[in-house]
Amino acid sequence: MSVCRPARCLFSKASSSIPKPSAPHPRRPFSTTPPRPVRKRRPHYPSIKAEDLALLNQAADSSFPKYDTSETALLSKKYTPSQIAAIQAAEQALDARDIIVQGQGRTDPWRVPYEDDMAEMDPVTDHAEKLSHTDIKGRKNVRLTNAVERDAAIAQIGNETLAKMYPDGIPDEIPKKDQEFFQEAMTTALTQGALDPRAVFTSTNPKVLEALADPRHDVRLPDLPRIENKMVRQTRRLSQDEEEDPRQKRMLQYLGWEKEKLRGLRVKTLVVHGVVNQTRMGKIRSLYYLTIAGNGDGLLGVGEGKSVEPDEGRKQSVMSAIRNMRPIPRYENRTIFGDLEKKVGATKVQLYSRPPGFGLRTQHLIFEMARAAGLQDLSARTPKSRNKMNVIKATWEALCNQRLPDEIARGRGKKLVDVRKVYYGGSVH
Amino acid sequence: MSLVNLAHVCSHLQNASKARLGLTSIPVSKLHANLMLGLQREGFISSLTLGGPTPPAPYLLQTQTPLSDHEHMAQKLETEPWLAYGGGEASLKASGARPPRDTAVRVPLNPARRRLWLGLKYWNNEPVLKHMQLISKPTRRIWLTVEDLSKITRTRASSYVGGLTRPGECMFLTTDRGILEARECVERRTGGMALCRVW
Repeated sequence: MSVCRPARCLFSKASSSIPKPSAPHPRRPFSTTPPRPVRKRRPHYPSIKAEDLALLNQAADSSFPKYDTSETALLSKKYTPSQIAAIQAAEQALDARDIIVQGQGRTDPWRVPYEDDMAEMDPVTDHAEKLSHTDIKGRKNVRLTNAVERDAAIAQIGNETLAKMYPDGIPDEIPKKDQEFFQEAMTTALTQGALDPRAVFTSTNPKVLEALADPRHDVRLPDLPRIENKMVRQTRRLSQDEEEDPRQKRMLQYLGWEKEKLRGLRVKTLVVHGVVNQTRMGKIRSLYYLTIAGNGDGLLGVGEGKSVEPDEGRKQSVMSAIRNMRPIPRYENRTIFGDLEKKVGATKVQLYSRPPGFGLRTQHLIFEMARAAGLQDLSARTPKSRNKMNVIKATWEALCNQRLPDEIARGRGKKLVDVRKVYYGGSVH
Repeated sequence: MSLVNLAHVCSHLQNASKARLGLTSIPVSKLHANLMLGLQREGFISSLTLGGPTPPAPYLLQTQTPLSDHEHMAQKLETEPWLAYGGGEASLKASGARPPRDTAVRVPLNPARRRLWLGLKYWNNEPVLKHMQLISKPTRRIWLTVEDLSKITRTRASSYVGGLTRPGECMFLTTDRGILEARECVERRTGGMALCRVW
């Protein structure tokens, strides 16, 4: 511990004559970069101008007004003083300015209409209004109808129902195409009339008759209304819809395709065999699948999948084949641009373009691939190894990586012209 | 005329383009020079310069106009746009462009030290010249007639020579009118000895 230091401090305090050691001698910089200017201090809170605050207060007052005397009088009729005190406390707890500045209303279709004055029944959120037998005034005498009364009641109810379907009255001449609809409407109206309780029971008390027609006296709950908006249409599930595969759904999103388009793909599993993983616990058998997928119009993909579960492996390979689909350039949408050669491992695949009407004269694997890709004229050779997996991979890569005449022309700086179908009015190949 | 050296050139060009070289050199002979001129005409190589064991200065490989003259050239081309096509240098020189700085190519006096420097071309990360192989072999020359060539250029095999089936494939022949491309031979109605095919 230094003894001098406190002593010097003491001296400096005692006598001001001793020069202070704060002589500003220039300090040697440690780098050549110029020193950064000191950061300007910013306040932690944004400073709000008085006029802005006034505007905010004004907006708060206008959009969330305080209860005036007439309203408090109305409230006091409905609520007890303690409830009113609670309401006022709740109102004070929330600052209207905070609601304006920070509050954010929900915009989704399922938001609950909190700002509701409860004047109307909401068929979705509210309980259906119900009436009981105590609400019927007068005598509650009911008897079964006789035939005449029943027919009259059915006719009347049927007319009412028809009037709902044709608010402008039934036209004199119904066009042929609407004939069927009219017949159906008639049948519906009469059936409803027959099923209505007024057709079965009658009473001398008109209040009871009203109650019979009133759906609020019905034991059954009324149907929920059909909501029509985009969200509902997307999430609606019909009974005939099959179980949706989450993987398929994700892939549809990835591809940006409709389900119908996916159904139109040609998918075929070309290679299946068992593979074994040797672990210290023993052998684990699983199945390997190689699948091709194409839309028959210039897209082709190859996918592999492997799993202990056969179905799972197959599904994997199908999904990856669809995901791997790549465009295949085709000459006149029927064959390839010139001859191709590709080597994968010990497998060599040679593909030859052929004239129209030649067909697919290739081995079965290349045939399936050409069909899935939408090639019609092709011949091929696999002169070396014919390993199935390698043949498929080599063919796929050869088809995907063709050199196009346009690119060759750009690369060489020459003009290349296709003279097929040029002479004799294009009638000769 | 030994085809052994030509075979070496073929494989060297394939190797150089696989290695993505921009500039490579081959030994000089009249056959090589004429064949390379044919390749340049077909757009397979970008430049062809006679030089020594060291590569020529890069600015010799292309005719350049100094930056200061560009504006003048643009004005000239605006009034006389045909100068951009025909006549090339002469017309542009007439338009006032200065000749490039040091045009002297230093070719060694000793012919054995001379090399042909070729500029290789690439497009879309792919070499423009990818394959080059002999048709005639040193021990087996193949001469083709016009009839053979017209078949071969229509992708049919003839005289034990396969057709030009790959897109953009070219075949070079040595004829009594110099080294020509197969389609050119058909046009001029001459046959010749097949040298190599390029694609």
